[in-house]
Amino acid sequence: MATYKLYYFNGRGRGEVSRLIFAAAGQKYEDIRFEGEQWPSHKSEMPLGQLPVLEFNGVKLPQSISIARFLAKQFNLAGKDNFEQAQVDAVVDTIADLVNKFIAVRFEADEAKKQELGKTFFAEELPKQLKNLETLGKLYGKGGAFFVGNQLTWADLLFYDVGESLLGAEANALDNFTFLKQNRAEVAKLPKIAEYLKSRPVTPF
Amino acid sequence: MATYKLYYFNGRGRGEAARLVFAAAGQKYEDIRFEGEQWPSHKSEMPLGQLPVLEFNGVKLPQSISIARFLAKQFNLAGKDNFEQAQVDAVVDTIVDLVNKFIAVRFEKDEAKKQELGKTFFAEEAPKQLKNLETLAKLYGKSGPFFVGNQLTWADLLFYDVGESLLGVEANALDNFTFLKQNRAEVAKLPKIAEYLKNRPATPF
Repeated sequence: MATYKLYYFNGRGRGEVSRLIFAAAGQKYEDIRFEGEQWPSHKSEMPLGQLPVLEFNGVKLPQSISIARFLAKQFNLAGKDNFEQAQVDAVVDTIADLVNKFIAVRFEADEAKKQELGKTFFAEELPKQLKNLETLGKLYGKGGAFFVGNQLTWADLLFYDVGESLLGAEANALDNFTFLKQNRAEVAKLPKIAEYLKSRPVTPF
Repeated sequence: MATYKLYYFNGRGRGEAARLVFAAAGQKYEDIRFEGEQWPSHKSEMPLGQLPVLEFNGVKLPQSISIARFLAKQFNLAGKDNFEQAQVDAVVDTIVDLVNKFIAVRFEKDEAKKQELGKTFFAEEAPKQLKNLETLAKLYGKSGPFFVGNQLTWADLLFYDVGESLLGVEANALDNFTFLKQNRAEVAKLPKIAEYLKNRPATPF
């Protein structure tokens, strides 16, 4: 029987999308969470000295998005054929573009510059990427609530998680994006996801 | 019969990985190259207003890495099962991390700052990521010259292309990385690749 261990910090961050996939699939796994002070002693155990890492049947795999895609494929949440999977990947790439720009703002050390970058991000960059996501949802979603193929894929789970972080920083971030708001609502309603969201630990990030 | 059209600029850039995958597979496709002045009139035809775009059986797909992964899966150059494909994806993610930092240097407008960023990049960031790539190959490569599973995958083709750009700026960039140098040499020797490299247009980027 396949065994899955997920190593990450005690927070959502870059690990949560995998946890959402495990939850949607109803798949058991070892959810290993390092506290800050534990991490240095484990860093050298990880292939690239970074988290998250998935250990599958004893072999370690780094890189959060690759981990999530693998899990989604294992549990049929990746798209029903190669081209649908590619559409899901394109949505994920677009979400990742958004996240990278968001992170650049959040991690800006200079407080004044951070405020300014944040204003520009929420006024210009974010709406541009969110519009791109709605464009792809329209192109690939077959008229449904999900991004691709009128069924849940890991692109929806990733957007659910990223949306949570965006809304935590700017409560109005999705106000002009009906499809995206509805998409997150549909994800949150799925029984296994609703249960998971109710039970998961509350963490600072 | 499946039809493939690749839309990009007349250069390697973010389109060449897909062209290398087509070449390795011996797959015919329409290689559409826009010159600079043609692009504005085609921009609105592309889902996200960006290139490259793949048109597969009449449906458009954006995002260069998702395009390359799809093509690799179509032509059995992606890894032989889900976990091997994930290992390939993790190598690709690491190459992309490297590319994104390289691009930040190359597109810096301030010339003095660009020189300084370039020095730091080649002295610190590039070696760090290149070492990460060698680590992953040691973990997944089954001791062969390719990154994963002792056979050619699109990770090798992507690294071949990215390596070309790195070496174009810093000829010594791979001097301390025996595996990576050998990996590129093996890719270049493959008959279909050697043929493609000999015949492809020479372009400024």
